[in-house]
Amino acid sequence: MDKNSHFKRYLKLDLLPTAWCPGCGNGIALKTICQAFDELDLPKQGTVVVSGIGCSGRSAGFFDLDSVHSVHGRAIPVAEGIKYANDALNVVVVSGDGDLLGIGGNHLLHAIRRNTNITVICYANEIYGMTGGQVSPITPHSTKTLTTPNGNPDYPADVQSLFKHHNSFFARTTAYHLDHMKKCFLEALKFKGFSFVEARTMCIVNYGRRLGYKNSNEMLMHYKEFYKINDYTEELAQNEIGIINRCL
Amino acid sequence: MPKKLLQGNEAIVMAAEVAGLKFFAGYPITPASEIIHALVNKKHIKVLQMEDEIASINAIIGASLAGLKAMTATSGPGFSLMQESIGLAHMMEVPLVIVNVQRVGPSTGMPTLPAQGDILQCIHGSHGDYFPIVFYPNSVSELYQYTIAAFNAAEESMSPVILLSDGYISHLYETIIPHRDFTIKARSRPPLGTGNRHFTGLSHEDSVPKTSDVDNYRRLITRFREKQQVTAQRYNFYEYMECSKETDTLLISCGALSRIAYYFKNDFALYRPIRMFPLVEEIKIIAARYKRILIMEMNMGQYAQEIERILHREVEFIPILGGRIDLKEIKQKIYGQK
Repeated sequence: MDKNSHFKRYLKLDLLPTAWCPGCGNGIALKTICQAFDELDLPKQGTVVVSGIGCSGRSAGFFDLDSVHSVHGRAIPVAEGIKYANDALNVVVVSGDGDLLGIGGNHLLHAIRRNTNITVICYANEIYGMTGGQVSPITPHSTKTLTTPNGNPDYPADVQSLFKHHNSFFARTTAYHLDHMKKCFLEALKFKGFSFVEARTMCIVNYGRRLGYKNSNEMLMHYKEFYKINDYTEELAQNEIGIINRCL
Repeated sequence: MPKKLLQGNEAIVMAAEVAGLKFFAGYPITPASEIIHALVNKKHIKVLQMEDEIASINAIIGASLAGLKAMTATSGPGFSLMQESIGLAHMMEVPLVIVNVQRVGPSTGMPTLPAQGDILQCIHGSHGDYFPIVFYPNSVSELYQYTIAAFNAAEESMSPVILLSDGYISHLYETIIPHRDFTIKARSRPPLGTGNRHFTGLSHEDSVPKTSDVDNYRRLITRFREKQQVTAQRYNFYEYMECSKETDTLLISCGALSRIAYYFKNDFALYRPIRMFPLVEEIKIIAARYKRILIMEMNMGQYAQEIERILHREVEFIPILGGRIDLKEIKQKIYGQK
């Protein structure tokens, strides 16, 4: 296959394999992002990836593009600075749920309000994986983690509700639904304005195995059985994945 | 060049424009807000009011990497919030100008009164070792002059440069001649979107993170330090006034407080650092001529301990706290100590 018309052209192949654990879902999302880049034929000169901190935060370094690996929670303001400085650039944020929704939650709120024309891809694994498996802003209620040994007393953040009154783009997808994931990334990248994709990726080592999953495939099978696709809707139910595009 | 009556904060804006500022992100705070007020009227400067100072510093890091000269302005509380990303900018070698108009702290303190309590925060506020260049002018025309120097030093050192001010000189009105005949350093690094570089806060070598390569880390930090010292040499700013009478005392002060120090020029020799950090080496030679070193500052001895460290000798220290600069009181404190 011609290397120049292939998703691999967006990756620094000499840095592979990634540092992610065996069974991690991040690699699936990383590959799918590159496939979406390839399908849109995004120019390598003119596309910038920004990430925060965490397992997902290491994504930026694997792209064969100019990329920025910022501090914890601040990928969005860095990306906004880049976009407002040079509107011609395609600016993509790749980070995790702890980074974007926890420590960086305030920035997300305001980026939605400003409707900055950037795409944010959130590897949502429901856990702080890199630090060993602490509860995250979207860990389900009553789930046991290192910091909630008796089950999470809180309820997960309803991320889509932040987008409700803005002309922005929200999508949820999973690492099992590959075609759907690519579709979400493609539409998010094409969207003129702020777009956010919550891509459910599995963390077996610091999350799934403590919940009784034998391997990461079982987590994928859970995505398959639990999530139903419901695109172009107004609101996604807990067990639905899909696209909410309020500019259609 | 006609004279202009300008406020200190306005002079910073005027100078930043001359120095090539194209991007500003900030958050309202007393006594620095006039800077963003003046900037929003500039056509060729993109100005963002962010949700907080953390977002502001990160936005200017992004904009600087994307190719624009970028600045933010704040006061103590906001400067505290920015610290983590100041470390990031040093690690990623991002040229920035950060204006800190000091007010009385800690915490909310006394927002409208001047202080000099952020001096050590400039060099030790973020975790890890880094070696920022810091300027602290003492008049409106100097704010103008050293804002331009700060932008140039940032480009030369590829690092964030801190311009200290205080609630007194930033709110002062003076007539200045806003010269435009300065050499302005151009951007030296190609902007984002032109390569496959990876800018990271991790220890790194040539765009590749090196999280456990100890030797590489040591080389990196050594290079940062040497780079800062080399750049600083070209910005060797200080003021030294010998006394007309015989004296054994050198009076050291900076910023707003140094303006009142001129009253003592007939009794003491005066020294005023303008480049606060790295410390101007000439102080060693100057101080050697005097038996007694007297430092007054608007904090509990932050710069005094730096002077002691570089001179390896004890100094006398007069704190002027709470933002009140009163000649009578200062006279009492200075002569009372004799």
